[in-house]
Amino acid sequence: MEHVIDVKGLSKSFGSVQAVKDMSFTVSQGEIFGIIGPNGAGKTTTLEMLEGILKPDNGTIDVLGLDPSRQLRKLNNRIGVQFQATSIQKKMKVKEALDLFSSFYKQATQKEYLIEILGLGDKLNVAFEDLSGGWKQRLTLALATLHKPEILFLDEPSMGLDPHARREMWSMIKLMREQGSTIVITTHYMEEAEKLCDRVAMIYSGHLKALNTPVELLNEMKAHYLAFESDGLEYEYLITVPGVARVEQEGDSFKVFSEDQQMTAYHIFNYCHDKGISLTNFKFEKGSLDDLFVHYLEKGQTG
Amino acid sequence: MIQVMKLASIETKMFFRDRLSVFWTFLFPVAMIWLFGSMFVGNEMNGLSFAQMFVPSWIGVNIVTTSFFTLGTVLAGYRETGVLRRYQSTPLQPWKILAAHTVQGTVIFFISAVLLMVFGMLLYDLTLPAYMGSTIAALLISIAAFFPFALFLTSLAKNTQAAAAISSLFLNLMLFLSGATFPLEFMPTVLQYVAKILPLYYVIIMLRGTWNESPITEYGVEIGILLGIAVISTILASRFFRWSGK
Repeated sequence: MEHVIDVKGLSKSFGSVQAVKDMSFTVSQGEIFGIIGPNGAGKTTTLEMLEGILKPDNGTIDVLGLDPSRQLRKLNNRIGVQFQATSIQKKMKVKEALDLFSSFYKQATQKEYLIEILGLGDKLNVAFEDLSGGWKQRLTLALATLHKPEILFLDEPSMGLDPHARREMWSMIKLMREQGSTIVITTHYMEEAEKLCDRVAMIYSGHLKALNTPVELLNEMKAHYLAFESDGLEYEYLITVPGVARVEQEGDSFKVFSEDQQMTAYHIFNYCHDKGISLTNFKFEKGSLDDLFVHYLEKGQTG
Repeated sequence: MIQVMKLASIETKMFFRDRLSVFWTFLFPVAMIWLFGSMFVGNEMNGLSFAQMFVPSWIGVNIVTTSFFTLGTVLAGYRETGVLRRYQSTPLQPWKILAAHTVQGTVIFFISAVLLMVFGMLLYDLTLPAYMGSTIAALLISIAAFFPFALFLTSLAKNTQAAAAISSLFLNLMLFLSGATFPLEFMPTVLQYVAKILPLYYVIIMLRGTWNESPITEYGVEIGILLGIAVISTILASRFFRWSGK
């Protein structure tokens, strides 16, 4: 598939803090590409370099065949951006904002279509400051997509939204993709990355830790665990079982993360059989991106 | 050009939606004229009546408030809340943003100037400017000097509060020391020299002069100084334009 974004050896520092370190990846046309990581991991910095707002210290960026920081105006005609913490003027009405931003583009815009699918029709005369969080996000999404951008950058689009509004946001993002946009999205909600993204880049303290489809990431053994309940087993024993990477305990229930589930299960069953300890509710669990994430975090702290 | 006019017209509408800025820009100067009128009316100063002296001055002061508050502080706020950053990822060029705000400021200033003039004519027998074309030219030159001057100074501020503090400092300095409100003749010699470094001093001389005595051609020095300020601050304002506070 054709690459619309190609990043090689990207680095960026702010003073003595290295926000992004030697990052390389590509984004294919038409995919929803997620960048996930905790707060301060370098997600926004990475995104802003792709958008041409920040200039990288090292490395090359190719977005739609352009160098973002040098060909910003050309790029801005072809990309759409929804920032994390920006607003429009408090007293600007929805209708005025849509009119104004439409006038920035030479090509015809899909203003009427967006008003319809985003349901903004009833809000046209409402000032920005009087909109709820969900409606504000809808409007800024509309402003970012007026000109049918080839790539849409969304920085934490569902932050501060309630679960219902968040699901609506996801279906709108999927709709934009169906219209032919490539979407690059940052988030720290793992559920969002799992349900929405075709591929996910996990970053932590400026490093690219993993990059794959959500399913493949989860298939890596690191996220898999054995779940069971027992009143006779102890953390101190479980952590010594062959293959075990990490153990989480909550009262009598355990989560044992293992690189080889079958072998670990065999050892635990053997031990319990010999000692006459009862095991209940034993399950092989696939884990979520959340678990994988905690795994990377802990590895990052110890190593 | 469509973009500049569209942005200017929306910004003008938004200005009128904010009651506080309407009060400070339109009603406060009228109230001040009325207050000064109750103290000074009937006294002739330098052969000028109260209204001939003070209405042109307060029109001059309003150039300062418009440039520092309607333009400078508002744009500093836009920089802080990410409004300008939002524009950065569109094809809109920065000069168009500054141009749109200049147009908006000019419209609002002229409305306030007409308001002050009509108030003076109704209450204090103020006459229309003796050289109307000259007065308008003097106003335009003053705007050209003050708008970029204020935009540059407030763009140095990190946030809205700091921009408002810079604006208040300059407004108060010029209000009291440029001869706009208190006649310079009553002040110590040192302060009379200080007045001459303040750009408003030259604006006041031109406005009072063209309103009452002589056409703008008589004010070459003032025009020269103000145009100099206009050129230098336009260069500085565009050179130091920033999209965000970071």
